[in-house]
Order: sequence, then structure tokens, then C-alpha cells
Amino acid sequence: MAAPMELSCWGGDWGLPSLHPESLTVMAYAKFSGAPLTVNTIHNSWRAPKGDVPVLISEDIVISQPAKILNFLRRQKYNADYELSAKQGADTLAYIALLEEKLLPALLHTFWVEAENYCSVTKPWFASRIAFPLSLYLPGKMSREALNRILLTRGGPPLYSLTEVEAQIYRDAKECLNLLSKRLGTSQFFFGDTPTTLDAFVFGFLAPIYKVCFPRVQLQEHLKQLPNLCRFCDDILTCYFRLTLSGHSPAGQDTADANLQKLTQLVNKESNLIEKMDDNLRKSPQHPPRKLTTLKLAAGGEEGSPLNRLSP
Amino acid sequence: ATLCFQAFLQMCNLPIRVVCRANAEYMSPSGKLPFIHVGNQVVSELGPIVQFVKAKGHSLSDGLDEVQKAEMKAYMELVNNMLLTAELYLQWCDDVTVEEITHPRYGSPYPWPLNRILSYQKQWEVRRKMKAIGWAGKTLEQVLEDVDQCCQALSQRLGTQPYFFNKQPTELDALVFGHLFTILTTQLTTDELSEKVKNYSNLTAFCRRIEQQYFEGHDKDSSTTVAARSAKRSLLR
Repeated sequence: MAAPMELSCWGGDWGLPSLHPESLTVMAYAKFSGAPLTVNTIHNSWRAPKGDVPVLISEDIVISQPAKILNFLRRQKYNADYELSAKQGADTLAYIALLEEKLLPALLHTFWVEAENYCSVTKPWFASRIAFPLSLYLPGKMSREALNRILLTRGGPPLYSLTEVEAQIYRDAKECLNLLSKRLGTSQFFFGDTPTTLDAFVFGFLAPIYKVCFPRVQLQEHLKQLPNLCRFCDDILTCYFRLTLSGHSPAGQDTADANLQKLTQLVNKESNLIEKMDDNLRKSPQHPPRKLTTLKLAAGGEEGSPLNRLSP
Repeated sequence: ATLCFQAFLQMCNLPIRVVCRANAEYMSPSGKLPFIHVGNQVVSELGPIVQFVKAKGHSLSDGLDEVQKAEMKAYMELVNNMLLTAELYLQWCDDVTVEEITHPRYGSPYPWPLNRILSYQKQWEVRRKMKAIGWAGKTLEQVLEDVDQCCQALSQRLGTQPYFFNKQPTELDALVFGHLFTILTTQLTTDELSEKVKNYSNLTAFCRRIEQQYFEGHDKDSSTTVAARSAKRSLLR
């Protein structure tokens, strides 16, 4: 008897369920683990956040940071890391630290500090979703906090000016993206065929960079040169966020139910992939004929393997 | 944290001489300690020092493939993120430790009132940083839990191997050794932090092994080494 859980977070645009990296991470994890969350996007109400977004409310418990929310979900038996080995769990922690140290500053900068981006995209978008008069104050506060965080963690000598700090954080972010791309390689997710906490975090950080249309986009351009990461984001968006087939199996409290959930997710995912392949085939006039043949072959291969897996 | 560098340079088989100076923070080009002084070049912080040493032809991570290098960088960030921040938190945000240990030690080279002013300034700086990254709201128990999680991750990654990437030590080994050894040998008001590390026997064995292999023959006075946040090194080539 799972208590109903509600997640308050920032909404989305440009094809994303949310623009906010932390909100996106929690939503992705909930989809991966099958947790039944009702998502309330913040939209012009007086219950505007005091900076603690995303927030999970379950009965009387209120939890606010992504790590804590994920811990709570795991304790409620929604565990996406069920099949990971101890070493893989350790790797997860390490890569999350890498994301927070190397990628987050540049992400914050692109959204909140880069003047053109902030004034033309971020501020109007967030202001439109916060009630007046907080809309005049809150985006500015978030921007100042972002700049503060960047300067306190990455600023300081020998980087004496903001431009030098900016140059350094973008270098670090690009290196981080390269490292992630090398680690992902050609696999579907970071640890094999099922998505885990690390996939949720990487998706949460990468998707906003990938999809949001900013005037100044050096990070996005770099990301687009790493096709496996783009494919990773697109896959998760199509499989877990466009089609609502995942997460409908009964919320099991014991291991057997969790396994059934996992199996259902796998089956759904495979059928989503097949549908996506079909879609790609049908509406891809811009793809050269050579690529179509590759897709056909891949589709043929894909159809072979899920059928094999589905048979008991 | 100075131990990381010593360990790294020892692993590269580069001879070093450690010198303690009170104004070392000001001598360092980035304001951070420690730093090395080679000929007429001064380099500080682990990242640049590693690159500098690499440019001179010594590197510990050449034998790793791309994925392993990515893993190594990730684990180094984990250590920096968790252990370093926890150490800073414990030194500057835990009131008991601050009063009894940190203030006297940090201000010791200076006369009154400079010692109090400088240590309060540093404390204020550190607290601001903690607030910006969200650690200000953490209690000591939560910080210790985070350290435990980090040690657990390191322990699981190390497993039964002698070093993190099997046979050869790398920058990660130097970094982990530096932090863990400091935690294990620093006298604090409580032993909780070192107890957390001691729970993982492969980590303590790892520290002992590196100490024996690379530091025997050196006079390692652990308590003053920790006070050597004002340590300057000179590399004789």
C-alpha cells in the first residue's frame, strides 16, 4: 500500500518534461524505477518554491534534495539499481561527483549567468511560471545564487576575472562530456540495458543542455558532436517520457513484485524501441538511402532479439 | 592533503624536499597549498602539478585505457567532492573542533590579534562556500554518513587489489592515500571520522602499504605534517 506521492517541480519546454536538472533527474528516476509519482509543475501559484525544488510530498513527509528523494524512493522499494554490483554502485557515486564538479558550473552558467541566455530565455521562462510579484525577484535571486556558487567553488586565484573562470569551467565541462561519452561507448545505458540512478543523473544534466534553445550555445554544440550522448537523451525521452507505458504495473512491496515491474518495463521498452524504429523508417526523407538500409537491418535485428527474450 | 602530493611525487620516483613556511599561502600562485618550486617555475594544486610532471615525461596513468581514465577522473572528483569538503566542514564548521583545534593551529604563526582575525576570516570564507554548495544545512551526523558512503564506494572499488587500477599506482591512489592517511592520523575532538575509515579494512591496509612502500626512511611526524598546511616543496632535479 504505497502512499500517494506528489512531486513539485519546474515544468518543461522544448520537448523536455522539465527544464530544471534536478527535477528532471528525479522524474527520470521515478520512471526508471516505476514509482507512481504525480507530478505537479509549478505554474503561477502562490505556493512558489523558496528555492527548494524539486520537492516530494508523501503523506506528511516532505523531502527536498534529489539525493534524499532518491533515497526515499529506494526505501519505498522503487529501486532502479537493483541489479548493480557493489563496484557499479561505487562507480555511480563517483560519476555523479564528476557531474556535479565539472558539468554543473557550466550548466548553471549557460542558464543563469550568461547575459544573453539569461535575459532572452531563462528569466522570461521562469518569470512566467511564478506569481507576480515574486516573478520580479526570484529569477534574479536564482541567478545570483548560481553566480555565487560558481565563483565560490571555481573562482579564486589564479583565475582573477570572471572571463577566466568562465573559460575554465567550459573547458572542464567539455572534458566531462568527453569522459561521459567514452564511458557510455555504444551501450544503451551506462550499466548495460536497464537504466539506473546514474542514467537519471546524466539525463537530468544533459537533456537541458541538449534541448533548450539558447542564443549562446557552445556547450550544446560540443554535446552535439558526441552522438552517443545525444542518442542516450533521445532514447530516454522517447521511451520513458512520451509514452506512458512504464510504471503502471502494481507497486510491489516485495522483491517478486519489483522483478515483475522490471520485466514489464523491459517489455515496454522493447516495444517502444520497435515502434520508434518504424517511425524513423516512415518519416525520414532527410536521411540518405545508405542510412535507411542500416536502419532496416537494425530493425530486423531488433525484432529478432526481443522476440527471443519474450519467449519464456 | 599535502600527503597526496608527496605520495604522487614519490610514486613518480622524483626526489623532493619539504619546507615549511608560514607565508606559504601567499607564495603559492593560486593561494592554495601545497605547491612545488622547480628551477624558476612554481606550480600549485594537484591538477596542474600532474600535468607539469607529465610534460616533463613522468606519468602514472599512461597504462590506462580511455574508459579507465574516465573512471579515475570520476573517482578523483568523488574524493574531492566528499572527503575534502567533509574535512573542511569538520575543521571549520563544527564549533567544537573550530574552537579547540583549528583556530589555535591556524593562527599559531601570527601574533595576537592577527591570529584571531585571520582564522575568523578563513572560517567565514569556508562557511560561505559550504552554504553555496548546500552543505551548510548538514549536521555532523549527515557529514559523517557521507564520508562513510564515500569510503564504502572507495573500498568496493579497491576490493582486494593492491591499487585502484590493479598493479600500478596512479594519481587516484596518491590522492586517496593523502586524504585517508590525514583522517586516520589527525587528532580531533572525536574519533568518529577515523572510525568511519577504519571500518574498511582494505582501505587501512592500502594506506599502510603505500606508507611502507613509499615513505619508509622518511621521518614522518604525522601531527606536524597535518599542521603543515603551510608546506612548500622544492623539487631538485
